[in-house]
Amino acid sequence: MPNPLILVVEDEPHMRRFLRTTLRANGYHVVEAATAREGLMQAGGRNPDLVLLDLGLPDRDGREVTRELRRATRAPIIVVSARGQEHEKVALLDLGADDYLTKPFGAAELLARIRVALRHSAQPPDALEEPVFLAGGIMVDAIRRQVIRDGEEIHLTPTEYKLLATLVRQVGRVLTHRQLLQEVWGANYTGQTHYLRVYMAQLRHKLEADPTRPRLLITEPGIGYRLREEPARSRIDSR
Amino acid sequence: MKTDRTTVPEYLAAAGVVAVATAVCLALRARFAPIDVAMVLLAGVVLVGARYRKGPSLFAALLSILTFDFLFVPPYYRLNANDSGYYLTFGVMLVVALTMGRLTTRVREQREAAAERERHTAALYALDRDLAAAPDTDSLLTAALGHLNKETSGETTVLLADTLGSVGDPCWPHDPPFDQPDVRIAGTWALEHTEPAGWSTENCADAAALLLPLRGTSQTVGLVVIRPADPGTPLSPERLGTVRNLVDIIADAVERRQLAERNERVRVEIEAERLRTALLSSLSHDLRTPLASIEGSASALLDDPGQFGIEDRHDLLEGILAESRRMSRLVTNLLNMIRVESGELSVQRSWQPLEEPLGVALLRMDEPLREHPVTTDLPSDLPLVPVDELLLEQVFVNLLENAARHTPAGTPITVRAWQEPGEVVVEVGDQGPGIPPGEEEAVFGRFYRADPAADPGTGAGLGLTICRGIVTAHGGRIWIEPSHGQGTRVRLSLPVRGVAAGLDPVEVAGEAQDHA
Repeated sequence: MPNPLILVVEDEPHMRRFLRTTLRANGYHVVEAATAREGLMQAGGRNPDLVLLDLGLPDRDGREVTRELRRATRAPIIVVSARGQEHEKVALLDLGADDYLTKPFGAAELLARIRVALRHSAQPPDALEEPVFLAGGIMVDAIRRQVIRDGEEIHLTPTEYKLLATLVRQVGRVLTHRQLLQEVWGANYTGQTHYLRVYMAQLRHKLEADPTRPRLLITEPGIGYRLREEPARSRIDSR
Repeated sequence: MKTDRTTVPEYLAAAGVVAVATAVCLALRARFAPIDVAMVLLAGVVLVGARYRKGPSLFAALLSILTFDFLFVPPYYRLNANDSGYYLTFGVMLVVALTMGRLTTRVREQREAAAERERHTAALYALDRDLAAAPDTDSLLTAALGHLNKETSGETTVLLADTLGSVGDPCWPHDPPFDQPDVRIAGTWALEHTEPAGWSTENCADAAALLLPLRGTSQTVGLVVIRPADPGTPLSPERLGTVRNLVDIIADAVERRQLAERNERVRVEIEAERLRTALLSSLSHDLRTPLASIEGSASALLDDPGQFGIEDRHDLLEGILAESRRMSRLVTNLLNMIRVESGELSVQRSWQPLEEPLGVALLRMDEPLREHPVTTDLPSDLPLVPVDELLLEQVFVNLLENAARHTPAGTPITVRAWQEPGEVVVEVGDQGPGIPPGEEEAVFGRFYRADPAADPGTGAGLGLTICRGIVTAHGGRIWIEPSHGQGTRVRLSLPVRGVAAGLDPVEVAGEAQDHA
């Protein structure tokens, strides 16, 4: 995709400047909006490839904006918000937003999220599943339903495998507790977060070198989980 | 005198005594002289007189005279007396009856007065005791109402001065009995004159309630309104006196309590003000230090005519990043502090393995912990704990930050956890200088700094205070384990009651075995 167009909906001028500068320097086209109204207009008119949506817009409620944006465009939406708004973020993700960034965040984190979102939106949802290499010497072979770690096959229970496969399909993207429970256990289990946590812990014990310092299966506190697609490039990038 | 209801049985008893005496005399009439008969009847009259008041004893005397005349004085069965000597007997009987009755009445009245005094004293004592035991004004008033209700068999309401206003005020209640004009008038009168008014008093006696002002030493603190069960029967003066004494005791207690509460409010305000000042000065320091370094580095980079090498630029930029992250943590902590302080800390528990919030905290603290190897030791059979993951993450971040900051570079930090009955205990330990003995509790206070002079700008000293707020909100405890100069060990316990609903460990283990 040559020079994707990113719509930045953000009311804070300094934040807009940081986003604009960073994105342009990395080869993206940027169109800006300071209000939800303006953002919705741009989304309809300019047909952006991705939307960065600030959660604290003065004129509209975040859920409303997300719903209307979804109607106006199929472009992935990345929600930008402060820490402590986890409920709101989960609601927006379940409403169809693709990912989120918690302020304050660094440029590396921003670019990584955008890359992942653009890649997933370019892929048709039923793309052929092929073996995926993950960091830390882990390979997931979707056809043979095998997980190889450092050349040795790891035995996963069916549920563990299903959970891992769900994360692999959306590698790099956050998945909410609800989305994972629905996908792996079914719609009746969306309230049983502790199922998910227990299986995630088991998966970490089998795949991670140090389960208390996961490098692959990342917890997004209050939101869900994310399968990291590559090891953190430097320590300072990790958060 | 007493009402008729209580004396009818006494008259009946008097008649009975006379009847018995008469029966005895009739049975022995053959052997008795009339004078003996008179003695027996007189004995009956004395008996009645000793037992009952004047009325029944007079009644017994008259009855005895008639019986004597009718049955025992010839001519029998006719009311006449030939012998004038019998008039003397009649007279003696009357005098004895009157004297006995009078004496008895006096004794009884004295006994009743003593009993009333005793009751009065007991009532005052009981009230005083209950008021002293009441922890606050509300329970004090509840206790007072109970006593007044018991004393008057009525229904008591207390209106405190700060809610009372004037009687014309809309605050004045509109429910019965206050909706009655005479009660309102009596209330006004009572407040104006600071004297009881209404039922059982001489002022506005028609009002269907007794209104007593609560007279404090300097001002009227309220008004007691007693609605009697039976407005037709006023209280006896003695009973009214007791009620007035009770009300005075209540007024005194209410006034004292209100003064104490006012003093406490002032004290809390002064304390809060002192803390605000301390917080502000601490904050302005803790926020300005990183800000100064950020501003300095950023402006140096911006103004750089090209003298900085790549490494210098990198150093400056890394400093900006690290300092802004530090500020970010500080601000998060401050916001949590406000939530803890204002009681708005809502804990959203969910069952989860402890390693999850710990893992997130370790990831967040990756950079500040660069100089410290961290080892974690969580047994694999540690149960799930019901915690708020964001808040517990904050606890771990604060504990790890403290450990990293107060220990020399290179020294290890350990995080251990184990199960104890009903709880999971977590320990964060370091190899630093430790906490001075005797200060193990003080470190949890606000604005505590290990050494303010030697270690400036290392945080507002809120970290452990917030940890305690969060752990307490989870129903757990956090404390410093005595370490005898060997580093610092902070321990926290998290209660684990029951198990996660619907989660069957057997199923989990079973599935694992099936597959393996």
